[in-house]
Amino acid sequence: MKLEVREVGKGFGERSILRDINLVVHEHEFICILGHSGCGKSTLLNMIAGYLHPDTGSISVDGEAVKGPSKSRGMVFQDHALFPWMTVLDNIAFGPEVQKAGKAQARQTAREFLELVGLEAYADSYPAELSGGMKQRVGIARALAGQPEILLMDEPFGALDVLTRETMRVELQKICAKLKPTILFVTHSISEAVSLADRVVVMKHGEISDIFEVGLTHPRSFHSPGFGKMMSRIERILMDEEPQELLQMKVGSS
Amino acid sequence: MSSAKLSTVKEHTLQGTAASESGPKVTGMKPAGRSGERTVPKESFFKRYNLLPAIVFFLVWEGFSRLNETLTLFNPRFLPAPTVLLQEGWVLAQTGIITESIMASTIRIAAGFLLGSIFAVALGVFMSKFRSVERWFSPILNLVGPIPALALLPLFIIWFGIGEFPKILLIAWTTFIPVLVYTLDGFKSVPSTLIRSALSLGASERQIFTRVMLPAAIPNFLVGAQVSLGLSFSALIVSEMMGASSGLGYMIVDARNYFKITNMFVAIILIGLEYSLFSYFLKLFERRVLAWRKGGLRDALE
Repeated sequence: MKLEVREVGKGFGERSILRDINLVVHEHEFICILGHSGCGKSTLLNMIAGYLHPDTGSISVDGEAVKGPSKSRGMVFQDHALFPWMTVLDNIAFGPEVQKAGKAQARQTAREFLELVGLEAYADSYPAELSGGMKQRVGIARALAGQPEILLMDEPFGALDVLTRETMRVELQKICAKLKPTILFVTHSISEAVSLADRVVVMKHGEISDIFEVGLTHPRSFHSPGFGKMMSRIERILMDEEPQELLQMKVGSS
Repeated sequence: MSSAKLSTVKEHTLQGTAASESGPKVTGMKPAGRSGERTVPKESFFKRYNLLPAIVFFLVWEGFSRLNETLTLFNPRFLPAPTVLLQEGWVLAQTGIITESIMASTIRIAAGFLLGSIFAVALGVFMSKFRSVERWFSPILNLVGPIPALALLPLFIIWFGIGEFPKILLIAWTTFIPVLVYTLDGFKSVPSTLIRSALSLGASERQIFTRVMLPAAIPNFLVGAQVSLGLSFSALIVSEMMGASSGLGYMIVDARNYFKITNMFVAIILIGLEYSLFSYFLKLFERRVLAWRKGGLRDALE
């Protein structure tokens, strides 16, 4: 599996959202796209998922251009997007079922992934009965049960409280160690990016401004050697220029 | 259940005199039924089903009617006592008229209601799926929709005669508009992330429709069904009052013609009972289908 994003640009009306995006994701890689809100990172992810089409450039998986959504690219949303009328198990079984796995086989697969996220006890609950963190775990299990080649995650922990976020991060690390999936993870948290990613793609104003190889050994925590250093390196890129630009804007407008 | 029915009889006889559309009142009745079941089972039977108000209502009615029989404030025949109504109703039931009327009305309302709902959902499907269908239909529906269905009845009778067809058609039409409007709204308000995640899990367009869009629109459909049930009941009664030879509405007209006010009351009460029964079934269905739903005041506070 190899995902290639070539010279991609996108605008909505007059406004240009993304310019000249080049990115290659290899199999088993965990890539974090990091940036301020409105920098176009979610738009990029939505284009890779196939929900939006790039204005210029191309996106391809194994040399084949992305034309629309496909089961080879699973998606986890910030608002979890579980089907509220289905039980947890049915939600997870949805992917295998629509992919014609057969009802029994689909449920079996669903149980496996439910176990993976540690929610066996909630198989017959409805999403409304779960807490935010549990819902997101089901969301991850559902996306994984669809057997995607790459998992796209759009700020999956963005709506969770800080404590739950930490737990979910550890949880996701465990899943990654077990399944070695390919993941493209959008976030605006530097620590999240550094603790999860193999590479961190820093985006600013619709462009990729830098890519960092994290290269720390798993499991990572704030106390891992080099963690703080990596964070501050990224922070410098991310936070830099901001005052200067504001200054420029002021000069320009006056 | 019979007690629940009893308690709504009163509401319906009152509604009958108000003579306004029962549409909005349908929703008004909802909380009453719900809070009824919500109460703790420890409470007494009377309290649980909130029977006291109904009983007091009938007692006052009985007392007033009996008093009127001696005082004759107005013609006692105008307001027969509930016990008299029960007696007369029993006599009437033995002639078979009541069963016949109920059967005729039930078949009409069930057929009309189902027909209207099916067509509404079908058109809703097409309108939400094909923009061109919506472009063509929605202005026409905006034009025709607000016309009270009852205004169409004489026309329907001229067109289709006085058989079953115009009656069922009228009921279907009154069901059709609200169900269509609500269902369409339901289709349109399916969260896009639900559709997106289904697509990313490999669902085909047909699967998206049957497994995401339809279940997501069911709550809205049920609201439409509740609203239209009240409307279609008035359509039923009016259509039976004009050019019919059976049914509860006909019973009322027949009673008027022969000045049998007790029969009129019996028919009115039966209409109320039948409506309650239908709305109870709809509630049961709703509770079954929407078991996944949470929220509202019930979950906000203990």
